[in-house]
Amino acid sequence: MDLTYTAAEEEFRSELRSWLSANIPNEWTRPGFWESLDDDESFRLRRDWERDKALAGFAGIQWPTEYGGRGGTPGMKAIYDAEMVLANAPRSVNPLALTFLAPTVMAIGTDAQKKEIIGPLLRNEVIWCQGFSEPGAGSDLAAVATKGVRDGDDFVVNGQKVWTTNAVHGDKIFTLVRTEAGSQKHRGISMLLIDMHQDGVDARPLKQMSGASEFGEVFFSDARVPATEVLGEIGEGWRTAMLLLSFERGASGIAQYTEFRRQYDEVVDVAKRLGRDTDPVIRGKLARVLTDLECLRYHAMHVQTQVEQGRDLGFEASMTKLIWSEPSQDLWEVFDEILGDDATLDSLGDLDLRPLHAQAMWSRSVTIWGGSSQVQRNVTAERVLGLPR
Amino acid sequence: MFFALDEDQQAFDGAVRSYLAGRFDLEAVRGVFEDPSGDGHPASLWKAAAEQGWLAVTVPEEHDGLGLGLVEAQVIGRALGAGAAPGPWRGTVLAAEAIRLAGSPEQQAAWLPRLASGDAVGAFTLRGSAPGTLPAVEYGALADVVVARSGDGLVLVTGATATPQGSYDGTTRLASVEAGEGEALPGATAEVVAELEARAVVLVAADLAGIAREAITRTVAYDKDRQQFGVPVGSFQAIKHALADLHVAVTLAEHAVLYAAHAVDTGLDGADLAVAVAKAKAGDAAVAATQAMIQYHGGIGYTWEHEAHFFYKRAKRLAGQFGDADAHRARIAELTIG
Ligand SMILES: Cc1cc2nc3c(=O)[nH]c(=O)nc-3n(C[C@H](O)[C@H](O)[C@H](O)COP(=O)(O)OP(=O)(O)OC[C@H]3O[C@@H](n4cnc5c(N)ncnc54)[C@H](O)[C@@H]3O)c2cc1C
Repeated sequence: MDLTYTAAEEEFRSELRSWLSANIPNEWTRPGFWESLDDDESFRLRRDWERDKALAGFAGIQWPTEYGGRGGTPGMKAIYDAEMVLANAPRSVNPLALTFLAPTVMAIGTDAQKKEIIGPLLRNEVIWCQGFSEPGAGSDLAAVATKGVRDGDDFVVNGQKVWTTNAVHGDKIFTLVRTEAGSQKHRGISMLLIDMHQDGVDARPLKQMSGASEFGEVFFSDARVPATEVLGEIGEGWRTAMLLLSFERGASGIAQYTEFRRQYDEVVDVAKRLGRDTDPVIRGKLARVLTDLECLRYHAMHVQTQVEQGRDLGFEASMTKLIWSEPSQDLWEVFDEILGDDATLDSLGDLDLRPLHAQAMWSRSVTIWGGSSQVQRNVTAERVLGLPR
Repeated sequence: MFFALDEDQQAFDGAVRSYLAGRFDLEAVRGVFEDPSGDGHPASLWKAAAEQGWLAVTVPEEHDGLGLGLVEAQVIGRALGAGAAPGPWRGTVLAAEAIRLAGSPEQQAAWLPRLASGDAVGAFTLRGSAPGTLPAVEYGALADVVVARSGDGLVLVTGATATPQGSYDGTTRLASVEAGEGEALPGATAEVVAELEARAVVLVAADLAGIAREAITRTVAYDKDRQQFGVPVGSFQAIKHALADLHVAVTLAEHAVLYAAHAVDTGLDGADLAVAVAKAKAGDAAVAATQAMIQYHGGIGYTWEHEAHFFYKRAKRLAGQFGDADAHRARIAELTIG
């Protein structure tokens, strides 16, 4: 057993720490700061900041240097993820590109795609959306109905995507499009990379229950997409999508733990200020949540070990999603119990509850996106435990 | 970072498990269960435990032990839980741990080699105080030496009178021990007692994690085959989702026990929190998994003939031992809320 990082990794940590402390304005870490901005302003600040970070060499930590990455170790990536949380760094504006698209392009993109896609996304010059879900294809992703009809060197695309994160700020979208007429399920789909600023593409914001509009709808009406903008093979989009989704597996539970542990401490702090911290029922419930948060930390170390040993976690990734998403939701339910009759108020005395409510509202989404909890349970039961379909 | 068992530890695990599967399986456990007047201490199993070093695991090499840590001990503890195996293994190891950590050199020389070799049976309890009655001591009637509280310290009790106490957990024998004056363990400061308690908690949690894993493994195997409505019952989503959640809970309990063992061995910051987390998680997981084992076997799971009750009953007893989940959550609250 060895729970430490190497000297080189610790060296990286201190370098990153000093860059972060010099480059995050104090004001940004004030509770409620980000919620006080409108969506566009918040997006612009975060986009520029993240570009500077990339230019300073703190992006693509584990990517090869030829792609503008840092060529670091999985340990450095874990440190990076955790330090970003500890420093109150702004949330990424290009997470889908960084986590999913870039590694997929590195693995199966054409040389031209590698050159055109990776550098710009790293520097946030191009913001990417993920256009998988449709009104009739959520959990059942293979039900996509958006059509692409070949016309000369182009595909002509018609259809609709929904719940698309960053829809209105996106420059390009990686989409699943049915390019083989009459094909069924996962056959005959291609992954198209579509410019969102062109004619025939219309993105509209959707307001979320939190009041923010981080996601939206994307409509395609006769949008022309060059056939060179297919990622992977034509008709093999399902395979490309599965490869793409597999890149979530290295995702750091250590960062999630760091974040939830901070949220836990915030909730405890509210309990203390309201004199609810001595209530044995509340204490018991908080301790139950904390138990699961600590277990998330151990699981993250397990995952980290597997990654460092070069093992494929396979369908265990579905478990990891359950392990972090469900307890984070439980925490915010206890928060409401702590507030009791006043659970919905914006403030209590001098306590501004809005930033905490924003986190609580967000927690309702984490068991839906990225595959709902029910879907993760199916995967765990069938693929990990081997129960019959 | 390496958070896992290393190769030697895995091999140790494999050896304990294959011995139990091959030479002391659940039929043998049933023999113990169905002989309530017996001492619950099968000679062949005890001999194997001694020969294979299960008793010597944490005893220092100078006293004929293996000189290993709690990480290795929890490997054995988990395997014994998974096999619902009877016998005074844990009491013997914990008595030796008490003597190792708090005993005088003479006490160590007198007891450690004998406990490590299986010549002497040990018991360890933190309930009651000597002189006085020590309730529900595991294998108290069999023990050559019982380590118990006396005021704030610990004593070695020998030659005590023990009265067997009936228990529905037929995998273990309990006794009420009438303890007179014992021989004090001179190093038993409050800190050492707390460390021993932590070690006891981790080993019980390991047993629970073993039980929990075995319960869901057996249930998954059964529900893959058992047909109703023309399909395997394991294809029903109500069952799948419950088993998936249990698999997650048990996996986390396993991680938590491993981490706690390592944290205690190396005196990591937050070891006390880790120990409480391990017991709370493992206790809940084992009770839930064994309840599910009965439920998802249907009627057969409720019969005496089926082994589900071995696991359920053992889980019920151990879930309360050295503090139940609520008690450990109270401790967690103390450590994280104040
Ligand atoms: C905040 C947020 C951001 C998102 N961002 C994106 C994005 O950027 N790009 C993108 O493509 N998508 C995105 N999504 C969409 C997300 O991936 C889908 O919402 C999700 O896959 C669920 O699909 P659905 O909404 O159609 O629900 P449905 O699939 O209709 O599910 C409804 C309910 O049925 C359950 N259910 C469905 N199938 C099963 C089954 N087989 N067994 C048991 N229960 C089942 C679900 O768990 C759910 O409870 C986002 C969603 C949210 C909330």
